[in-house]
Amino acid sequence: MQIPVIEPGCIPPDPVSPDSLKGIPRQQTNPARRSFENWKDFVGHLRSEGVFVREGKVESSIFVTDAGGLAFGLPHGVVRPNSAEDISKLLKAAQLHRVPVTVRGGGLTTEGESVAFGGILLDMSSLNKVLKIDAKAMTVRTQAGIFWHQLAEILRRDGMDYLSAPLNLTASVGGTLGVGGIDVNSSRLGCSSDQAVELEVVTPTGEIMRCSETENPELFERVLLGYGQFGVITEAVLKIRKFSPLTMQYYYYASLRTAIEDLQMLSKADAADYAGILTILDRAITLLVAFDSDERRKEFEQIWKHKLRGHGELGFGLLMARYYLLRPWKMEEALYIASRRFKLFPEFNRPEFMRDGKIIDRTVVFSRAVWKFWGGRQMVIPDLSAKAEKFVEAVERGNAVCRKYFKYYTLYCVGIKLKGNLPRYEMSCIPQDASDIAYGCEFEPMLRDTDYSRDYLQSFKNEIYDIGVDMGLSYYRFGGMMKGYIRRVFGDEMVDKHLAMKKAADPAMILNPDVIF
Amino acid sequence: MNEIKTDVVIVGSSLAASGCAKRLVDAGLGVIVLERHELPRHKVCSGILSPRGHRFLFENFGPLPREILHEPTFCKGVTFHFPSMVSIPMDFFGGPTPHLNRRFSDYWAIKRSGAVVHERTTFVRLEDDGKFVHIEAKKDGDEIRYKARFTVGADGPKSRVRQSVYPDYNKRIPWFMVGQKFQAVIECPLDDDYFHFWFHPGLGHYTWSHARNGRQILGVGFPLGGNLHKYHANVERYLREKHGVKLEPAEELEGCSHNFGPSLINRYVFGKGNVLITGQAAGFFNMIAEGMSCALHSGAIAGESIVEAAQSNRPVQQVYRNLIASEVRRCTDQWNPFRIIFGNPHEADFKAALFKLDKKDRKMVLKDIARFLKIYAPYKWGRQMLAQSLIRELKGEYLSGRWL
Repeated sequence: MQIPVIEPGCIPPDPVSPDSLKGIPRQQTNPARRSFENWKDFVGHLRSEGVFVREGKVESSIFVTDAGGLAFGLPHGVVRPNSAEDISKLLKAAQLHRVPVTVRGGGLTTEGESVAFGGILLDMSSLNKVLKIDAKAMTVRTQAGIFWHQLAEILRRDGMDYLSAPLNLTASVGGTLGVGGIDVNSSRLGCSSDQAVELEVVTPTGEIMRCSETENPELFERVLLGYGQFGVITEAVLKIRKFSPLTMQYYYYASLRTAIEDLQMLSKADAADYAGILTILDRAITLLVAFDSDERRKEFEQIWKHKLRGHGELGFGLLMARYYLLRPWKMEEALYIASRRFKLFPEFNRPEFMRDGKIIDRTVVFSRAVWKFWGGRQMVIPDLSAKAEKFVEAVERGNAVCRKYFKYYTLYCVGIKLKGNLPRYEMSCIPQDASDIAYGCEFEPMLRDTDYSRDYLQSFKNEIYDIGVDMGLSYYRFGGMMKGYIRRVFGDEMVDKHLAMKKAADPAMILNPDVIF
Repeated sequence: MNEIKTDVVIVGSSLAASGCAKRLVDAGLGVIVLERHELPRHKVCSGILSPRGHRFLFENFGPLPREILHEPTFCKGVTFHFPSMVSIPMDFFGGPTPHLNRRFSDYWAIKRSGAVVHERTTFVRLEDDGKFVHIEAKKDGDEIRYKARFTVGADGPKSRVRQSVYPDYNKRIPWFMVGQKFQAVIECPLDDDYFHFWFHPGLGHYTWSHARNGRQILGVGFPLGGNLHKYHANVERYLREKHGVKLEPAEELEGCSHNFGPSLINRYVFGKGNVLITGQAAGFFNMIAEGMSCALHSGAIAGESIVEAAQSNRPVQQVYRNLIASEVRRCTDQWNPFRIIFGNPHEADFKAALFKLDKKDRKMVLKDIARFLKIYAPYKWGRQMLAQSLIRELKGEYLSGRWL
């Protein structure tokens, strides 16, 4: 029997029956490791050009999986570039020898997007220098492999701060610009990708190009939120701002719907500098608001505070006590919520990070808390992003799925400000029908030390993603193992349009091959 | 004598082995698969895979080639027939599913997994010294030895790996025989698009029929020691008289023995030390008589467990038993009366189909099912099933203490 070879991006008809698996076009989401006959020539070619490929098993085993821990694959070699020129040489040779190149920053993808199924793994963490801080233009020029916490640290020396970054600061700047990057202030400042002013990109054919809204705008719009399909970001110029300590306030809710409606009210009115929802199960819902200045805080307290329907801590505590006293069989849940409250909240105002009641370093405080209370061996955080009107229903449906699969979980909701109607939002995490502000929710089970089979976790994620298909939403991350969803969410016409652009930009389809096509 | 060294040896090369091999190869572990026949090899099987298994094949091995399917290439669902002559067709939730030609599907899957296969190599025995598993096998009559960190027994109902870990296991469980005959069709009113199943205590423990490559398969299951020809003649007569199925005399027959039962009563066998048992060898078997999807998934979980154990430096059995719990729930839920009444554990909606019947028919069907279940009385599974089902409702899972 001859085993047929399937070209990437191609989905042959299913010989079983046209309506099998509900007629949804499926593809292999767990790719096999590719093999190359010309591997030695390829490595030799690169070596002659001064690019070193690390081929040891120990080197490549480090990258066997990503933060999601569901996809596994081994690259044949790892390249740590010293410059954009190295990447250019690598991509030129890769086009010639048709060797796939998977780019990796912090490896915080959850669906295997930064896992290499054979070929080269391009480890961008070697390009991690901040090049220039421009206090006049309020921008920073940095190499793109830098992690956000490193960038924050260097900016702080000049009394500066980034605008918005993902909560998990071990993500790289380049990787974040490629997919979005949502912060608690995104309802005001947009996603991290929208902070980019200018980029240096190595295209899949190996050209080093600069792009911005005025220079090569097409490339700029493709690379931002482009899932790494149209180039490797090597340098980025990002907007920055003056550093300011922040004050935080919490409001507690027992109903998801009310909390989300209040969040949307605040986001729409730009009432707070930071606004988000963080829950313990769907029982204790915290609306978190924070302010960069006392003026903003006072304004909020005058106009908005009394409009919020949330409780103060004491009032909410009494409410919870009544709820659980009437339902003694749920005592375990009550104890969990209480213990979580007493361990987690002090983390946000540890004395070493506070001055005069203000958090002096949100970067440290948030990222510490994220790793300590939500981190684990594996990141399982499927998400949905929706326009304002659909958001409550999406979260409620997702919440029901969490309940079904896990005992303990957290929901995290924020708004994402759109910067107008930009081409980059097409086929991205920004829902296609959204205008002004979109909303996103992450569904995060508390896995702790429990072992779950990959099938169990993937089934959970798929059930969340199915809500997105059903309601016409989008996802922060739709690549990798969920690339099967892309056609269902965006339709064949849109995907084929982007596939055609991809094929034109990357004839051998070598750059990040298993991410979305 | 030289030992062949590798990370993992998988015994068997069917779907459970492929699922397992895929996970291990992806993670970069060295895998050798031992297959006693030459590939592609024949396998006795209905070939009807559930939609969940179909999805697994797609996601892990890629689009299915036409060659791995029989004619008809698909099966829309299952039709239950009852002695009261009520028939209930039910479509699979996921749409039509593949009718696999196991000879080629298994070959395709194991090749796509990327594992190295040693054909014509029969497993003989193993020894686990706590650090390595030493395996003795025979290739074309010559002895051949392997040394591996882990061994996976994915070698079916009469698993030799299981036998070498639990020598008296085979004597402790009841055995069944299933046999199927292939007959040319003179007249067959049974719908080709469905897998047909009879809840008839007079015919056998398990009676089915479906179309394959222009012929009709009649199959029957019964306790080991029974006479296939007698059972089969009885089924053929019944189908002729009651359903008007007229067939030519059988051209071909095949059969095998089955360890049917462990999944009903949550008595799985998962191995010891660095030896894992998976697939049907571990006792996985779905209610709609489909073992392939749980073989694929349990095999994959065995593979994941080894990867996880190697990465986190934990005992592999501990990891395997934690990870496999979700598959145990999926499989045993299908036999759990509470889940069947209050939930929907199958991939087709029996309850909805039942409620579509008028009241009289529904009553008859329920009576027929009760009568059918009586033929399992000698195995004393009823009480155990009930107890396990109750525990499942109270604790949310099946007790792992009952596993071997």
